[in-house]
Amino acid sequence: MTKRLGNPVLLGLAGLAGLLLLVEALPRLGLVNDAYLPPTSRIATALFDELATAEFWRAVGDTLTGWAIGLAIAVTAGVVVGIVVGAIPVLRAATASTVEFLRPIPSVALIPLAVLLYGTDLGSVLLLVVYAAFWQVLVQVLYGVADVDPVADETARSFRFGTWARVRHVLWPTALPYVFTGVRLAASVALVLAVTAELVIGAPGLGKSIAVAQSSGAVPVMYALVAVTGLLGVAINLAARVFERRTLAWHQSVRGEIPA
Amino acid sequence: MLKVTGLRKTYRSGAREVEALRDLTFTVENGELVCLVGPSGCGKTTLLRCIAGLLDPSGGTISLDGQPVQGPPPGLAMVFQEYGRSLFPWMTVRDNVELPLKQKKLPAARRASLVSSALSAVGLEGTESAYPWQLSGGMQQRVAIARAVAYEPSTLLMDEPFAAVDAQTRADLEDLVRALWQRLNVTVLFITHDIDEAVYLGQRVIMLSSSPTVVQDEITVDLPASRDQLHTRADARFTELRTHVYEQIQAAKRGAQSTVDS
Ligand SMILES: Nc1ncnc2c1ncn2[C@@H]1O[C@H](COP(=O)(O)OP(=O)(O)OP(=O)(O)O)[C@@H](O)[C@H]1O
Ligand SMILES: [Mg+2]
Repeated sequence: MTKRLGNPVLLGLAGLAGLLLLVEALPRLGLVNDAYLPPTSRIATALFDELATAEFWRAVGDTLTGWAIGLAIAVTAGVVVGIVVGAIPVLRAATASTVEFLRPIPSVALIPLAVLLYGTDLGSVLLLVVYAAFWQVLVQVLYGVADVDPVADETARSFRFGTWARVRHVLWPTALPYVFTGVRLAASVALVLAVTAELVIGAPGLGKSIAVAQSSGAVPVMYALVAVTGLLGVAINLAARVFERRTLAWHQSVRGEIPA
Repeated sequence: MLKVTGLRKTYRSGAREVEALRDLTFTVENGELVCLVGPSGCGKTTLLRCIAGLLDPSGGTISLDGQPVQGPPPGLAMVFQEYGRSLFPWMTVRDNVELPLKQKKLPAARRASLVSSALSAVGLEGTESAYPWQLSGGMQQRVAIARAVAYEPSTLLMDEPFAAVDAQTRADLEDLVRALWQRLNVTVLFITHDIDEAVYLGQRVIMLSSSPTVVQDEITVDLPASRDQLHTRADARFTELRTHVYEQIQAAKRGAQSTVDS
């Protein structure tokens, strides 16, 4: 047994409280200009004011819509392409270098293209979100497919499982933990890209609200909205982890981990 | 009838070549229980994978009831050497045993009765809803056997199925295999590297040489059909037979040694 350095959740909360205190103290002590960094209390007030407005909730809704649709498209495409490419060795070899070339292209480099195609519509957001999230899923699915146990697959073949049955009963369950990892990573990236697209292109959503707050000098509101995007990211990650743990009890146990 | 003629298999991966099987010819009659013994690495698993249609031979032919084996043939079940990895960890014991029956498109009621009778035949009643990784190694092996038995194969291939279990479990499983074979009238090809096990189980024992692999010798086990661990193994004829098999395997090793030396 390793010695525990206190409860990690409590420690984390303590760290967060420290940050909030610091942000409160710095402008109040005059160490930073409160026109650029208002104290925590003022950001909090702005946040509560925002929570009462319909625009705020519309912006949250817009951001989450772009995020969810983009993520759904990326996950579906990533899973389908990943399974087909991963299961056919020739395809895998033929596409490997293309994937390695396309994957590192930052999604934001596609902003001019998105604007050209869709202007400030939802389509722009989706293009960026899908592009960024797709690779996360695809790469994980490819790993997952490569992880299929040859003995398990031969077992299925020896009992004369057809292609579809082998995909469904051997390949898919093996790849599932990887798919979940891919979805979790993609969900975070998708949120980043959704907010970026709104911020830069001006598609409706939290990103655009941040830009508007900044240009109209409502600095506490800007910080409040930034905090909201952070909270959304945390919530998405937590939800993905809980879901993963529930669904993959067998996997945790096979790997000798203790399911929490 | 299983007929293996002039079977050859050379693995190729890049520049590396491994001659796993040089020239194998033998037959197994329907309803027979034949044991195959051979030293580790001589190509026993390779042979079974060829028979099961999982691997293309480099030469020679295999036929099952007159049909040449091209892909996995119908009515054939295989118990893998790596039984742990051949069970699906994401499925319960029941689902593992039932899945091949679903692929055979058997009706649900028939599947349920086959699953429960196969599991009780191997002494695993009550584990239906456990996952394979919650069971001991010997229990997992019995699940793999139950899955093959429930499939109602006409040919059953078993690849060193008892290598990883303790002596007592092993003795029980040996008797189980003989009992199932007698009851189900299935053709069994049983691979082992344990000479005693081969003589105890088989009606016939085929001995493979070490690599380059050929059939070294073949004997008929003329022991009574009803065998039991205590008396059969103490029988003078049993001792004679196992001595013979042992000598042949030693001779095979010497033969291989002298080809290497020359
Ligand atoms: N997929 C493969 N690729 C290349 N060589 C292989 C492959 N599988 C087996 N071999 C080689 O073929 C030979 C026979 O292997 P095989 O697994 O058939 O032996 P075996 O008789 O089953 O051994 P054991 O008793 O240890 O299980 C070995 O030399 C092995 O290295
Ligand atoms: Mg083997």
